[in-house]
Amino acid sequence: MSDDIAVGIDLGTSYSCVAVVQDGVPQVIPNEWGEHTHASVVSFLQHGSVLVGNNAKKNIITNAESTVYSAKRLIGRFYFSDEVKKAQAVMPYQIVEGPNNSVRVEVAGRTFAVPEISALVLKEMKAIAETARGHEIRKAVITCPAYFNDNQRQATRDAGRIAGLEVLRIINEPTAAALAYGFGKDINQKICVYDLGGGTFDVSILEIGKDVFEVLSTAGDTYLGGDDFDDRIMTWLAEDFLAKHQLDLRQNKYCLQMLKEASEKAKIDVGRQGTAQIQVPGICQTPEGQVLELAHTLQADQFNKMVMDLVQRTFKVCDEALQSARLTASDIDAVILVGGPTRLPIIRNSVRHYFQREPLTGIDPDEVVALGASIQAAALLDAGAAVAGQASYLLDVTPLSLRVGTVGGLTELIIHKNTPIPIEKSKTFTTSRDGQERVKIRVYQGESSKSEGCELLGEFEFSGFRIGYRGEVAIQVTFEIDPNGIVNVSATDLETKKRASTTISLSSGLSEKDIQTAIDHNADIALVDHPTA
Amino acid sequence: MDVDLIIAIEERAKALPDLDYFQVLNLPYTAGVADVKAAYYRESRAYHPDRFAALPSPELRDLVGRIYRRVNEAYTTLRDDEKRSRYAADVTGPDRAAKLRFTEAEESAHKEAQKRKLEEQFGQTPNGRKLYAAALKDMAAERWEVAERALRTALMYEPGNAKFKELLAQVEKSKPKVDPFKIR
Repeated sequence: MSDDIAVGIDLGTSYSCVAVVQDGVPQVIPNEWGEHTHASVVSFLQHGSVLVGNNAKKNIITNAESTVYSAKRLIGRFYFSDEVKKAQAVMPYQIVEGPNNSVRVEVAGRTFAVPEISALVLKEMKAIAETARGHEIRKAVITCPAYFNDNQRQATRDAGRIAGLEVLRIINEPTAAALAYGFGKDINQKICVYDLGGGTFDVSILEIGKDVFEVLSTAGDTYLGGDDFDDRIMTWLAEDFLAKHQLDLRQNKYCLQMLKEASEKAKIDVGRQGTAQIQVPGICQTPEGQVLELAHTLQADQFNKMVMDLVQRTFKVCDEALQSARLTASDIDAVILVGGPTRLPIIRNSVRHYFQREPLTGIDPDEVVALGASIQAAALLDAGAAVAGQASYLLDVTPLSLRVGTVGGLTELIIHKNTPIPIEKSKTFTTSRDGQERVKIRVYQGESSKSEGCELLGEFEFSGFRIGYRGEVAIQVTFEIDPNGIVNVSATDLETKKRASTTISLSSGLSEKDIQTAIDHNADIALVDHPTA
Repeated sequence: MDVDLIIAIEERAKALPDLDYFQVLNLPYTAGVADVKAAYYRESRAYHPDRFAALPSPELRDLVGRIYRRVNEAYTTLRDDEKRSRYAADVTGPDRAAKLRFTEAEESAHKEAQKRKLEEQFGQTPNGRKLYAAALKDMAAERWEVAERALRTALMYEPGNAKFKELLAQVEKSKPKVDPFKIR
């Protein structure tokens, strides 16, 4: 065995986790204080150093403007998307527009692309693993929500590269979780992974055969997560406070942060004890200088009523996933719960009710994804696998349909959602003008036949093919989705069989040059352990 | 790494352009849906890119990728009963060379055929379909008069629909006979 090891990293919206396979057993790597999960929070300190993790989380209130959290909600999004607008309203840090409609974060007098922020979280995970293992770690498998589109996957991969990691594979969180549970010994089971994270919700239906994990279908909602449960409590508290004191706590970002923290704590308490005492002394001051406090009690049934529609939304997604797999809830042999919010009794009970069976919770729902990723990482490094065959293979699918834009703002389907990947599909385009030198196509992902209902991946421009009369020149465009779920587009002139050159003229991602610059920048940033440094 | 395996992969990749989906999955043309799935798992174990991920040779990994993409393509087509039978007919017919891959043309032909089938089953107009469905429900509940009325209305939308006529005849037959002139 060589020293070469690869870690599995669960890069979460709220918390991240790193794991490695040691002596054949996947294990979470704790940091020096024994913590298994680390807040995905990056806090920029005065001297240019950076604090990441649970210590940085404390700075969300005290150092609000230079502390970035929930960056995953922004990764791979366009500046004009709803999620970015929503984030701008609630995040205390500055979200600004970058080139090509991209999103940038302005903090501590510098501008960062979102993958650069995530890279700092990954760098911390890398550092934790290196401290524990005592040598450098260069390779990793990183997970992302199954429902992430191509832009978001590319941005996640870029983040890994910026952090100085060779990203062996981007795998889907629910698939990783299934891997961690180590099915595959029992022949032909159908399982459902219910993954409610901090910011996203995913469902995957898998069929497990001998050494094979086949994803039958995936459905999800990238706008639904534990944070939305917090929001409900927050709204309730704020409305009540407004009625009592005529002061809106949401107007002030400092108050808002305290409110947010109190809401999250209340959610966890109500899940554990069935009731939560909310007590925030000195949350704000009246114009007259009177200091007000926030005090409330939240009961379980009250909380359940608040979030019932969110819970129901998750089962709509389950319905969709089952329908795509042509199954019903009773066909499922096992249900796996992933993500912190699945600890809530209301979720557990609803899942039990929906599937009519007890969900599996043997592995910590916060760690299961990282553990699965580490299994995949170890398998990908194993050169002996080529001859012997490895323990299990993931047969994953693309979560979203791939489309090209046509005239009148419509799109045409190229690759259907839930198609196994890697896959390729070709489509022939002809020129529409005499002597045309370039052909432009726009590629979308989504389920709408209208382009505005889909996510734009990019605009590709082909040139270098034969020049001729209109309709005479045929260009075959090949769309490939690789095992990471990332889309590649190439084109050939059908007659001459010559590859046309392709340029991406519109994309939310970083160019190769941007990434190189980011790698250099990132190397300069020192991570520290304590805010006192 | 095994030389035999390398040679096997190279040969497989070279032969790929002339293989049909059944050959890609090593299946007979008569294979059923369970066979397709078993074959897909078998070929996945053989050619999954993860198996070869740690190999130093990018050329070989590229070949494996090409083979495996075709395996997935074959599976997506053959797992569908309709598509499989259409495809089997295509590749065993005279146009074999042109039909090896299930492309846009076949895809749209398949969709067209499905649409036609749906229309034959239920009628061509939305109203016709709705009334037909209602009539079926009424028949099940033995509300013959209501079913008859629905079908007659449906036939106003689609006078030529044989399916509607057939059902109407059935309704008329099962309707309890009442003699209007009989006075009790």
